[in-house]
Amino acid sequence: MREEAKEAGLGLPEPVSLQPEPQSAGAADTSFNQEAIGYLDTLYRTALRLTRDPAKAEDLVQDTYVRALRYQHSYRRGTNMKAWLFAIMRNLFWDRFRGGRPEALSLDGDSEMSLYDTLPDVGAQPEADVLDGIAAQEVIDAVEQLPELHREVVLLVDVEGFAYKDAAEVMGVPIGTVMSRLHRARRQLQRSLLGYAREAGIVSEGKGESGE
Amino acid sequence: MNCGKCLEKLEGFVDRELNEGEMAEVRQHLSDCAPCEGLFDLQVGMKRLVKRCCDQSTAPAHLRERLSQILG
Repeated sequence: MREEAKEAGLGLPEPVSLQPEPQSAGAADTSFNQEAIGYLDTLYRTALRLTRDPAKAEDLVQDTYVRALRYQHSYRRGTNMKAWLFAIMRNLFWDRFRGGRPEALSLDGDSEMSLYDTLPDVGAQPEADVLDGIAAQEVIDAVEQLPELHREVVLLVDVEGFAYKDAAEVMGVPIGTVMSRLHRARRQLQRSLLGYAREAGIVSEGKGESGE
Repeated sequence: MNCGKCLEKLEGFVDRELNEGEMAEVRQHLSDCAPCEGLFDLQVGMKRLVKRCCDQSTAPAHLRERLSQILG
């Protein structure tokens, strides 16, 4: 069974509910609060990579919790709280820092999978061990240089271990869009990191380019 | 399974998003095909590298404190 998928809450009733459901709004719900605060580190580090600014990341996370508290009646107990919190934060991020949510703008035109257009040339691939020589800060920089739509999917799937369907819920897009954005993001990351490796002399000239 | 089909499924395999039958087919192909296996190693290596480098940060103590007060 899939460890990462399990971590992301697969196996819970489908679909992961992000919709309001009437529930008795009572006094402070300590179990809700305790579970929610358990996601602080994961929310913060994602906010940090999204905003690229510790002060903005703090504000974003704090506002996420304030909003989560305000709308806790819409959280359906037993569903994926991590995905619910990430969806709140993700929407706040786009509304506040990027002037609106991208799926409403439909700018990226990447809803179709087109793998065959982009298959790498297997013969030109460097060995995986070149990755060992890449510094952590280079990786963080490469992630932070991705366009936000691509950065967020890498953060959700690769860093936080969300299953495609949970990432799709968080981002409010079809699973196919998650897959195509992820594919593009990874190609870009690979280009950046192997470019760095080449400059640093970790991999020799002429290797590491994806055939396109 | 041929290489084209394998490459098409490879990211789903790396992300463990395929069904069991597909997982087994890809696994079988990778054990028979060194170039595809090399690509798999690279993709898994990239995914692990990104995770390892990006999941180290923890929330500052003052933020945790403030949120604990807000959450009561």
